[in-house]
Amino acid sequence: MVVLSTILVSQSANASTSEGGELQIKETIFHHLCDGYGWEVPFSHHHRIPLPIIVRDCSGQWHCFSSSRVTDGGTYEGFYIAHGGAYNGKVVSVDANGNEYRPIDLSITKNVLALFISVFVVIACVLSVANWHRRNGHKAPHKGVGAIESLIVFVYDGVIKSTLKDQARRFAPYLLTVFFFIFGMNLLGLMVIFPGGANLTGNIAVTLVLAIMTFLVTNIFGTKHYWKDIFWPDVPLWLKFPLPIMPVIEIFGMFTKPAALTVRLFANMMGGHMIVIVLTMLIFIFAPMGAGVTGATTVVSVIFSIFMLLIDVLVSFIQAYVFTMLSTIFISLAQENPHHEEESETTQVIEK
Amino acid sequence: MELFTPDFGLIFWMFLSFAVLFIVLWKFAWPVIIKGIESRADLIDKGVEYAQNAKEQLDHAREEADKYIAEARRQQAEMLREADRMKTQIIEEAKAAAQHEAQKVMDAAKVSIEQSRKEAEQSFRKEVSAFALDIATKVVRNQLADETAQTKLVNTLLDEMENKN
Repeated sequence: MVVLSTILVSQSANASTSEGGELQIKETIFHHLCDGYGWEVPFSHHHRIPLPIIVRDCSGQWHCFSSSRVTDGGTYEGFYIAHGGAYNGKVVSVDANGNEYRPIDLSITKNVLALFISVFVVIACVLSVANWHRRNGHKAPHKGVGAIESLIVFVYDGVIKSTLKDQARRFAPYLLTVFFFIFGMNLLGLMVIFPGGANLTGNIAVTLVLAIMTFLVTNIFGTKHYWKDIFWPDVPLWLKFPLPIMPVIEIFGMFTKPAALTVRLFANMMGGHMIVIVLTMLIFIFAPMGAGVTGATTVVSVIFSIFMLLIDVLVSFIQAYVFTMLSTIFISLAQENPHHEEESETTQVIEK
Repeated sequence: MELFTPDFGLIFWMFLSFAVLFIVLWKFAWPVIIKGIESRADLIDKGVEYAQNAKEQLDHAREEADKYIAEARRQQAEMLREADRMKTQIIEEAKAAAQHEAQKVMDAAKVSIEQSRKEAEQSFRKEVSAFALDIATKVVRNQLADETAQTKLVNTLLDEMENKN
């Protein structure tokens, strides 16, 4: 962790010294938080791992080229990276009328590659456990496989089974996948150099897709009782008949649940990344005030960065766990039958 | 602001990645793992139950064995006591039988001695009377004429002798 922070510091140092000034510091922070068409390598801000850009222009033509052709301000086949404006930092082009527009952009960006790496890592980890079970039957796994298995058992027994009861088997594949995917992405995001470092779960697109998945699973597998509770809940008639107040609230609630999931994970992870970067940037903000102040700030910043990264490791786990737990609760609420009234009340209490 | 606007490209790839991840894990991993974990938990539960039963049985068996051993000891002691008692009894009986036998032998000996004595007396008497007769005959032949008076006299004398004895 110390080594990683040192690398982070030196990387940011390069970034700051090459650009300089306070405005660049803000840009650097957002640059690290946002997506990009290339992957930074340590100790150099200008050399990046080039990634493929895949775009479809306004005439319906697909273009695919390396990001190294446009990242340094170049133009390739009419595409360039916008600086400022609505499409700041994105690949844009100019149509026949001379207007700047954003093509359909399916580029393998830093985040997309990080996504692929996460998927690969998660599949490898989980399949190692599955292979162990296929090969060794009832023997208990050790070391890495054992650690992953204990996590699986922790989530499966602690969250899924205890909430969904007899339905646990049905929804466990989805919920376990979500947990390990988020956990993997979170941890890879905390690694500072190449295979990690992308602020993936701190990107609203990623968390939004995950929340939409939970929304779809919840509503597609919802029972008749769940739909009845939404459109005709057990409340006095005046609350639902002339003006459907309760149904409107219930339907609104259907959408606030995934929204809460999206924002919770996104904000937590982005916040974690931002704090670490800002702490590191403090060194360069104090740099003009002399060697003594810079030295002191460096020591304090590095210590706090390490501390925050350690907390982020904990947060990575907690957020993956919370996302899985809330998804489980939402699904279980849509699974209830009339005779499970008391149970649903307890789950609602837990949710609050 | 870019941070809060989801990017279409990323959403597209995220959907795709999640779908691939989910399908791969759903087909090849989760059912195997969950089945494995649950059956292992069952196995462990059964194992524990079996071990508890076995321990119970073992404890029970030890108790049983102790009981049998105590019983055997008791029987052994009883048998020893019985044997001791029988030994003394046999010895007593043998002694009694031996005494009885000895008595019988002694009685028989007494009887036979008595008989022999009587027989000896009888024969002695016969012989003595024969000798006496012979002698008397020889004496009286010379002295007495009447043999019958002489015999009578002798007999009287002999009877006297006998009575003295």
